Amino acid sequence: MDNGMEGMLDTYLFETNSLLDQLDEMLVKDEKIGDFSSDDVNEIFRIMHTIKGSSAMMEFGSLASIAHHIEDLFFYIRDKGIDSLDPDHKKELFNLMFRSEDCLRGQVEKVENGEALDTDMDSFASEINQFLKKISGAASDEPETAPSDAGGGPSSAPDSLTPATNLPDDEKAICYLHVFLDEGIGMENLRAFMIINSLKECDVDFRHYPSDMDSNPDTCAVIIEEGFYLAFEDGDMAAKAEDLMKSQGHIRSYELIMAPQPEPEPEAPKASAPEAPAGAAPAPAPERKPKETPQKAPAGAPVKQNLISVNLTKLNDLMDIVGEIVITESMVTSCPELDQLNRDSYDNFMKSARQLRKLTDDLQDLAMSLRMVPISGVFQKMNRIVRDMKQKLGKDVRLTLIGEDTEVDKTIVDSIQDPIMHMVRNSMDHGIEDTAEERIAAGKNPQGEIVLSATHTSNEVIISIADDGKGMNPDKLLAKAREKGILVKPESEYTKKEALGLIMLPGFSTNQEVTEFSGRGVGMDVVKKNVESVGGVVSLTSDEGRGTTFSIKIPLTLSIMDGMKVTVGRSIFTIPIANIRQSFKITAEEIIYDENGNEMVERIGGFYPIVRLHQFYGIETEVLNPEEGILIWVETSDHSFCLFVDDLIGEQQVVVKPFPAFLNCFELKNYGIGGCTILGDGNISIILDIPSLHTATLEGF
Amino acid sequence: MAEQTTLNEEFLDTLEAEEASTIERCLTFKAGDLILYISTRHVIEIINNYSITNLPLVPPYIKGIINLRGQVLPVVDIQMRMGKAEAECGSDTCIIVLDIDSVSLGIIVDSVRQVIDIDLQDVRPIPLKRQQKLLDGMVTMEDGSVFMSVDCQALAKAQY
Repeated sequence: MDNGMEGMLDTYLFETNSLLDQLDEMLVKDEKIGDFSSDDVNEIFRIMHTIKGSSAMMEFGSLASIAHHIEDLFFYIRDKGIDSLDPDHKKELFNLMFRSEDCLRGQVEKVENGEALDTDMDSFASEINQFLKKISGAASDEPETAPSDAGGGPSSAPDSLTPATNLPDDEKAICYLHVFLDEGIGMENLRAFMIINSLKECDVDFRHYPSDMDSNPDTCAVIIEEGFYLAFEDGDMAAKAEDLMKSQGHIRSYELIMAPQPEPEPEAPKASAPEAPAGAAPAPAPERKPKETPQKAPAGAPVKQNLISVNLTKLNDLMDIVGEIVITESMVTSCPELDQLNRDSYDNFMKSARQLRKLTDDLQDLAMSLRMVPISGVFQKMNRIVRDMKQKLGKDVRLTLIGEDTEVDKTIVDSIQDPIMHMVRNSMDHGIEDTAEERIAAGKNPQGEIVLSATHTSNEVIISIADDGKGMNPDKLLAKAREKGILVKPESEYTKKEALGLIMLPGFSTNQEVTEFSGRGVGMDVVKKNVESVGGVVSLTSDEGRGTTFSIKIPLTLSIMDGMKVTVGRSIFTIPIANIRQSFKITAEEIIYDENGNEMVERIGGFYPIVRLHQFYGIETEVLNPEEGILIWVETSDHSFCLFVDDLIGEQQVVVKPFPAFLNCFELKNYGIGGCTILGDGNISIILDIPSLHTATLEGF
Repeated sequence: MAEQTTLNEEFLDTLEAEEASTIERCLTFKAGDLILYISTRHVIEIINNYSITNLPLVPPYIKGIINLRGQVLPVVDIQMRMGKAEAECGSDTCIIVLDIDSVSLGIIVDSVRQVIDIDLQDVRPIPLKRQQKLLDGMVTMEDGSVFMSVDCQALAKAQY
């Protein structure tokens, strides 16, 4: 595939996926109400139409075929009005739609992975057809639509190769525009369709033949051979269209033909028109169809909006460059030669430097905001999961979403989708009581509730998944952990919090059986790992009988942060400002020792362990006396301790760079070294990762 | 800042032309009392005048990391990697920047000699093969000097 084709494929996948997301959202919403609104019916019809069109263009037959059948189905529903369906049918329709959506997604996934598509979609297609037949009932026993040949089926190839002069049959038309496309441009049917669309956008009213050119690749040959026709009821419209034609590309020639009155032969323009709406009698089909399609066919037509989609790698590159600019800027402003300037020039320089600083800050904020996407995409997917599980498990649960608009870095969104999904499943499966009776007995609303919320703090996003189910019993967890042999200290020493934390250990699952959704024991530890990989932490609280809440805290952005530079010997470390609570000097007398000689210090009513960085990292330094160095009180979400360093240098915005791959095997991340950054003078500083530093220094004993 | 000698394009071009034959263009350098060579395929550039940031908790042969135009590069003392004493820092000491299967690293060597063509068919295995940590072949040149081949794969794999 050449680049153009790949670009097209990217666009296709992006479009189709977002359409499917939209569909999903709509279906879940509508199912809650138990009914489709007529707007949504139209919307689904439009989505299917677009998917059909673009899939056919990309020659993904199976996708086009399914979409085509659903489109037919919704054409009928739209035509008859959704209210004509009885509740049973509606329910069935929802299930059918969810299954079709999954089926389409499955195919799209195959396209993404470059696998071959399923060629045999007949069984599923016929299922849709049967449903259509069922709802249309025996009343309108019009012939069932021919099996779709959107994918290039053999059924009704251009068996009616009419001579070129054969005008399509359209009683109302007074004149036709007969258009020929350039030779050998490929995909003639779709190009013709695009021309038609752009004419329609200019308020020109007409019908086109072959009417199914957007969906039926066979019409391609016809259009090459005979061109295509636009039928006008009005001479002015024809003239307008003729004008517009001049601006369209790929047109070889066109001519205006007056319609010969009256044309006999009431047959559909092309026998190969499977588009002819099911449920409508064949006769008016060619009449109505073209009228319907135009409104609902913005398939290729660009919707006017102020959004563009950008390749993520470009944004990453932009971010890198902005990072380099931030570094270079501090390199320039901290250049030692500046001291040799005289006072006035120095002031002037600093003035400009401040201006530059402001601009780079703005640039950085902007570059960062480009990568921010609302979390609603992930949240909406949970609707579907809750819906599916509700049916499978027979639990009545409602999902409440709060703060969907919260914006998070794109990479973070991608990496938290699975963890959130898993936790929602866990809450559904284990959290919420099995029966409504149980809930009533506990004095709760029979309908369970899961609240998924996202909020911002200054530098973190907090996502919480709360259920009002039975909660967890720390004793049970401990017993279970003992059974599995994953306890690391005597049971009695576990605090409630630690006991709850057990479920995040590998190999722990509270459910006795493995269910389809959860309970394999690979759950929470994977969740924890995924969240940690983007620098986040998972914590949970649980009240037995009242419910469980999982919270994920994730830093807003990963690449640029504020850091405090400190020295230890000859090394410079950077501590994230977000982790720093205070820094202070102490005297030797203030240090308290425990039985092992570990140092502690009292601060605002609490005792905190002291970690001497030079000791832990084995760095030679002359500052050993507590009075000479300085203590930095750091805290993470659940730990607080003090670091002993030689001196503070100052605060700086730093760009986090990962360590080179060569050093991966030393797992420095587990020893408090989170990454490194390049300082203004070109030197490298090591960024401390406070949570893992705590684990490495204080939890090992 | 850092003064660097980037290998010029010609080398790479001729290298590609000779891909099929067994002749390989190699950079020879001195490390301690050995003369080693490494295929120019892996060599990105040679730098001197650098400042190394020490890393805690890594084996001593990893000298630390350097900032190479915004890229963070680990630096290995190739002599210590072979289990010898630390390289002495002299005026000719420099860092050869390598890219071995997209693992980037720098090695500290005593001095860089020249680029020569070595026929791979002339390369002989080292008799005490199992005792070698980093070398995987030797070749005698026309003037009688012996060059040793660096095992790039072993070099690219950090170990305790």
